[in-house]
Amino acid sequence: MEKNISRLLLCLVLFLSFSEMTYAHGEKAQQAGLRMRTMNWWDIEIYPKKLDVNQILTVKGKFSPSPWWPKHMANPEDMLAYLNIGVPGPVFVRIDSRVNGVPMIRSTHFKKGETYEFEIKLKARSPGRYHVHPVISVEDTGPIIGPAQWVEVGGDQADFENIITTLTGEVIDLETHGMKQIIIWHSFWVVVGLLWMGYWFRKLPVLMPRYKEVARLGANHANELITMKDMLVSIVFFGGILMAIAGSYFWTQSQYPITTPLQTGEVEVQPLPSQGNVVELKLHDARYRIPGRSFKVEIDVTNNGTSPIRLGEFLTANIRFINKEVLGDIKPVDAQDLIAQQGLQVDDNLVQPGETRRITLRAEDALWETMRLTSLVYDPDSRFAAMLFFYDENGKRYHLEVGGQMMPTFS
Amino acid sequence: MSARYIPADVEQNEPDANEVRHVAGAVKNSAEQLAAYRNIDLATLPLLFLLFGGISVFLFALTVGDWDFWMDWRDRRWWPLVTPFSLILLPAVLGVFMWKKFRLPMGATFATMSFLAASWVSRYANFHEFAGFPLNFVSPSTWVGLGVIIDATLLISRSFYITGFIGAFLFGLLTYTINWPIFAPFRMPIDYNGTMVTVADLMGYMYIRTAIPEYVRIIEESTLRTFGEAVTPLTAVFAGFVTILNYYLWVWVGFKISESRWMNRIV
Repeated sequence: MEKNISRLLLCLVLFLSFSEMTYAHGEKAQQAGLRMRTMNWWDIEIYPKKLDVNQILTVKGKFSPSPWWPKHMANPEDMLAYLNIGVPGPVFVRIDSRVNGVPMIRSTHFKKGETYEFEIKLKARSPGRYHVHPVISVEDTGPIIGPAQWVEVGGDQADFENIITTLTGEVIDLETHGMKQIIIWHSFWVVVGLLWMGYWFRKLPVLMPRYKEVARLGANHANELITMKDMLVSIVFFGGILMAIAGSYFWTQSQYPITTPLQTGEVEVQPLPSQGNVVELKLHDARYRIPGRSFKVEIDVTNNGTSPIRLGEFLTANIRFINKEVLGDIKPVDAQDLIAQQGLQVDDNLVQPGETRRITLRAEDALWETMRLTSLVYDPDSRFAAMLFFYDENGKRYHLEVGGQMMPTFS
Repeated sequence: MSARYIPADVEQNEPDANEVRHVAGAVKNSAEQLAAYRNIDLATLPLLFLLFGGISVFLFALTVGDWDFWMDWRDRRWWPLVTPFSLILLPAVLGVFMWKKFRLPMGATFATMSFLAASWVSRYANFHEFAGFPLNFVSPSTWVGLGVIIDATLLISRSFYITGFIGAFLFGLLTYTINWPIFAPFRMPIDYNGTMVTVADLMGYMYIRTAIPEYVRIIEESTLRTFGEAVTPLTAVFAGFVTILNYYLWVWVGFKISESRWMNRIV
């Protein structure tokens, strides 16, 4: 028995010794189809990559709720949504967050298919290395996380300060504000409680002698244990506490004459102006070939603009499949940056102005596997969505989302 | 005939080996008896303190949770209603036990004191040290004074009916008032980037809780079901009434579970 326990303990120690620390935020946890059809994130910038306590980190980019948002899931158009940030607790403090310039202290709604630009300013609070995600939390659905990058914070948390000026002109440090009152009033009531308990336990022993006396006297006569002194003390405590509560209330009112209730409510934010119908898409066919980890999509592309366009990027579930012929060599920001640098091949990739052409794209990379998107074929609704980025000759970009039924190929 | 137990130091003239069983007595005189009883006090009270502290914090986390964890959740409509309703459970049950078995009016004080101590440990260790939130943002509320009021009412009235009617009512009624000195510094208004917030709201915004977006907060919203701005007094009176009802329920439960027949059945 002892041997078994020793072996178990040894296994546990070895397991813990060789286990890697987990820093992820569940990026791969949700069903593939859901990750592809909820929120599209792009142009994400997180900078600087190294900073010290009290310095500012900026997280910015764009997002668009998918028009193919699953019907059975609450969406940000009907339910409340909140621009959040995915970090391990308050290692940063959020000093500003905006969507299309509107402060996002409170919750709002985002329309499906529309584009929003966000910017979050964070002030570093705790030294460490953190994987920073933008997040949109949707009521009744949960957090939908965007692409992350690693950030390293140096310095000393003891140097951190968070100074704010109230509307009444007081300058306060949120790290310690109100602590004095908290300690004073908790201590006061603890002393009151100790005095009350101390009165009953002023002379030990108490429990056993009283237990025996109550048993001897019986339920009907046990009140004989209560003395007149007990009564007087109880009356003093009863009255004294009521007076103390009233006194503390009025004292507080004099110290803080201007207070307001907690604030809530929604804010309204308008999406970015539409880019017009320069490019139009129509899905013809979509197939996922499991052995090749290859997603093949045939789409009819109509170019209503004045310049030829080419497909440069296929974005789904935060993975960027890059067409190197169009965008060149795009380097990942860090080891976890989800970029397939040569992951997109496109046939007949040039649509002239006024032309409608069927193009075939193949998004292929091991990221399908490592990000657990191959399980798309096991989703109960077999639907997908992805954002496509077209570029004209002047480098102007047009983003459009395509989505619909997906057919698996097993061989 | 059943055997008689006689302490070993008591001399017997002619012990009958078949009827008398000699046992070594742990207590030989009244001084030792008192010392033993004193040790029971000294051992029992800290153990009960730990036990009830743990139970109440666990219970509170399940039933109240975020409403009391964060300063920006302690509003004037839901927090003063939910918290006394939930927290009255242990003062009622323990109050019955202490009164029925010892005639000691200290169940509610003991329960609120142990809850406070365990809450401070939890908030400091879990929320402040481990999760990194400023202690002022997650510090517990206070209930000790209200616990003493229940116990004092019980002693003065010697009636659980009157204690419920007065003590439990005051427990609910004064929940917000007794905590106002702790809350008020966090209700000062701030203009933050053009948005009106309180200090508590701003701390909730600044100190990031990825799993608790703003809309998750169940706090007061404007309603026509109130008289002007008098939200707190209405909530306080209603909280008093529901606390009375819950107090009576758990006093009944306390009477049931402190009946000796349960122990007899187990033993």
